[in-house]
Amino acid sequence: MEKLPPLLIVEDSDEDFEVMCWALQKIGFTHPILRAERAETALLRLFPKLPPADSPEPLPCLVLMDLNMPGMNGLEFLEEVSQRQPKLAIPIVVMSTSTNPLDISACYGFGAAGYIIKPFKLEEYLETIRALTLYWFNTVKLPEKNYDEQ
Amino acid sequence: MTETTVDLSSCDREQVHLIGAIQPHGALLILEEPSLKIVQASTNCARFLGTPCEELVGQHLDLLLGADPTATISKQLLSKKLNNGFTHLISIPLLGQQDGLVHITGNRVDGFLLLEFERSGTINLSPAYEYSANLQDMIQQLYASPYLLTFLTEVVKQIRVLTDFERVMIYRFAKDGSGEVIAEAKEADLEAYLGLHYPASDVPQPARRLFALSPLRHLPDVDYVPVSLFPEQSPLPEGRPVDLSYSFLRSVSVLHTTYLHNMGTKATLVMPLMKHGHLWGLVSCQHHSQPKYLKYEQRFPLELLSKIISLRIGDLESLDQYSYSSQLKQVNSQLTNEMGHAKNCHEALFMGKTNVLNGIDASGSALMENGKITLLGVTPSEQQINLLIKWLSLQETTILATNCLPHDFPAAEDFSDVASGLLAIRLSRSNLTWVLWFRPELISETHWAGDPNKPVIIDADGQESRLQPRTSFALWKETVRGQSQPWLDCEIEHASKLRQSLLDILFERTDQLLQLNTELEFSNQALNSFVYASFHDLKEPLRGIHNYVELLKLENHESLSEQALKRIETILYLTDRMHHFLEALLQYSHIGNIDEELKPCSINAVVEEITDMLIKSNPYANLTVDIQADMPVVSCNQTGVKVIFQNLMTNALKYNRATEKIITIGCNISNNVPVFFVQDNGIGIPPEFHKYIFQPFKRLHGHKDFGRGSGIGLAITQKAIGRQGGRIWVESEQDQGTRFCFTLTPEPEADQV
Repeated sequence: MEKLPPLLIVEDSDEDFEVMCWALQKIGFTHPILRAERAETALLRLFPKLPPADSPEPLPCLVLMDLNMPGMNGLEFLEEVSQRQPKLAIPIVVMSTSTNPLDISACYGFGAAGYIIKPFKLEEYLETIRALTLYWFNTVKLPEKNYDEQ
Repeated sequence: MTETTVDLSSCDREQVHLIGAIQPHGALLILEEPSLKIVQASTNCARFLGTPCEELVGQHLDLLLGADPTATISKQLLSKKLNNGFTHLISIPLLGQQDGLVHITGNRVDGFLLLEFERSGTINLSPAYEYSANLQDMIQQLYASPYLLTFLTEVVKQIRVLTDFERVMIYRFAKDGSGEVIAEAKEADLEAYLGLHYPASDVPQPARRLFALSPLRHLPDVDYVPVSLFPEQSPLPEGRPVDLSYSFLRSVSVLHTTYLHNMGTKATLVMPLMKHGHLWGLVSCQHHSQPKYLKYEQRFPLELLSKIISLRIGDLESLDQYSYSSQLKQVNSQLTNEMGHAKNCHEALFMGKTNVLNGIDASGSALMENGKITLLGVTPSEQQINLLIKWLSLQETTILATNCLPHDFPAAEDFSDVASGLLAIRLSRSNLTWVLWFRPELISETHWAGDPNKPVIIDADGQESRLQPRTSFALWKETVRGQSQPWLDCEIEHASKLRQSLLDILFERTDQLLQLNTELEFSNQALNSFVYASFHDLKEPLRGIHNYVELLKLENHESLSEQALKRIETILYLTDRMHHFLEALLQYSHIGNIDEELKPCSINAVVEEITDMLIKSNPYANLTVDIQADMPVVSCNQTGVKVIFQNLMTNALKYNRATEKIITIGCNISNNVPVFFVQDNGIGIPPEFHKYIFQPFKRLHGHKDFGRGSGIGLAITQKAIGRQGGRIWVESEQDQGTRFCFTLTPEPEADQV
């Protein structure tokens, strides 16, 4: 069986990461999970120095990212990615507690594929994660290669 | 011209200087040059010079004077031009006459030499040094007066002392040629002429020209018999009389003597007052009781004096104007200063220590600012000023000065007595801001100084005689009806400068306001971001706690005691409440920032949407929502309206213990603006609590009684209604249900309950 492409989670908070993993596991998500605690690390993952074929780590197929992070924050990360050439084919979905409309429109402006407001209650959270995976992994087709691999 | 042909319209035509006659207090000879042969002589030569004119004509001058004096005169004739008035040539005793001297003065005109002879005074004159000391004293005294009017008042007093004339006046010409008596010294029992105005025709143009030419005109006896010249035929080829413009002895106009007759004047002496080469006014001395002759020696210092006075007038007038304009400058800077602190022009120009009427020669002032009129001093009525400003606004000008307003704006006829003069500045075209100064009509200001009941003199034809001061004054009044004193250049400049400084301040304020607005907008934005960031930062850890406790409950409930599970539930309840509270606070802070445009919004649609949501989220509540079908469409901010109904309807359901909960929503359109209401059959609010319910974080019940509430719902509702320009109030009694009423549009003030 072919190895599934990993999901990259960019999240500085251990608790949030733990709850997310718990939720993904709960709904039976089977893709490998990669974590980057900082946006800068995530950039290295998405734009490796070596050609992807020689890279020890496979490229993720989807990125879930928090907004509020130390160092480079989520918005700056999105801006950086949007300016890189060649363009990144991998969708980035933002997950945040911020309801600020300015944040939301800025994320989409920099090319975010989605913006999810983290629900307060665990039950609702679980439902949101279920819907998220259903959409990205069972409804749409994700790219198998990044642009520069073609 | 003879007395029978006197006609007023001829005033300006009578050529006074070409009358071929002289007054009898001297003799005149007209000679050829260089032969000094006498060609014409006054017919009084026999009496005055001892030789009849018939014998003199055709003879050489030395026949009359003797060889030596004639030689002295000839010598002077070589060096002197003599074409600019009569110049003293010699004073000698006449041949064959024992007593006294004659003064001989000469003037060249029309190619001839004119010699005038006048007898020296027989009165004992003071020694020259004493006389000049007196004069010096007098001049010093005059120079002590720093203002023009006090100076002139001193002048007439001194001249009266010096000459003993019964009346000495100073008469000033206005730009239009009319005149005014501005200083007078007189015998107590004489009628006063001070303050009287005369039309320009009273001193006709030719007379004014002559006044300017001779330093002094003297008419010792108004009833003199003119002395003609011999031969009658003029020596000039075209027969025109020799020009006597400069002649001291020249005969005067019949009109003039008639006028003097009517004034009861027997003798006059007139000196011109010149300023920058123009006739500024006259010193006029009059004797009423009898003729009065002032001899050459007495007149000489007067001529000097009139020249000194002329010089001083120029100085004092500039000084008066200078001190007036510096006074205006001071007022200007004080008003500008006031404006710096004041809220508006009304406060700055009318309420401060210095007001708009200070310093300036105006009797009233008005300000129109944002449709409101402020008055100060003597002014037309508000209604009249409204009309005036309408007219002003049609004039394409920012500053207007007129001294004949009724002429320019006929409707001003109604208030010409208080405002024949208007000085106006426009500060703003858009909101009609004007500052006005008023000046009364000249006539209302001027008083008849004499006795107005003095009998009118009737002439031979039974007509009221025109030639007297009283009728002159009446005539002058006709010519200046609807006019005020003209505005001076420095006054117009004052108004214009004031306008500029006020505008500068107003502009500066607008600038500051704009800047403040920008700063405010910026700080609003910063505050907005700050609020979001804080809420985010507060919610993050709260979510963490909540999630962890839920995980604990889900994963470990089997190993936990019942008490531990109960505590876990409490933690969940508390974090949940705090979360709700934060959400409500965020919403409250946002209500003020909703920047949506006003759009027509169907209230029915909004209410139905919220009803749907309310029923879905409370499936077991046994709730009925009764909605009036035809509530109006209101122009409003939709997000705000949703917040309002959501809060009110949620409350209506929450604070309700009835088994069948009923919410009634409707609108009363019988008032000026629609009044909406949300009514329930719930627990009601006791009247004593009504004043608290709209305060943020004010709760009337414990948390356990009616579920969690942030205590901010009604505060949010009120704020949202306020943003629409509406208001909310409550009608409720304990256990009687509650009815919240509100409007979504501003109401006219009178309609408020």
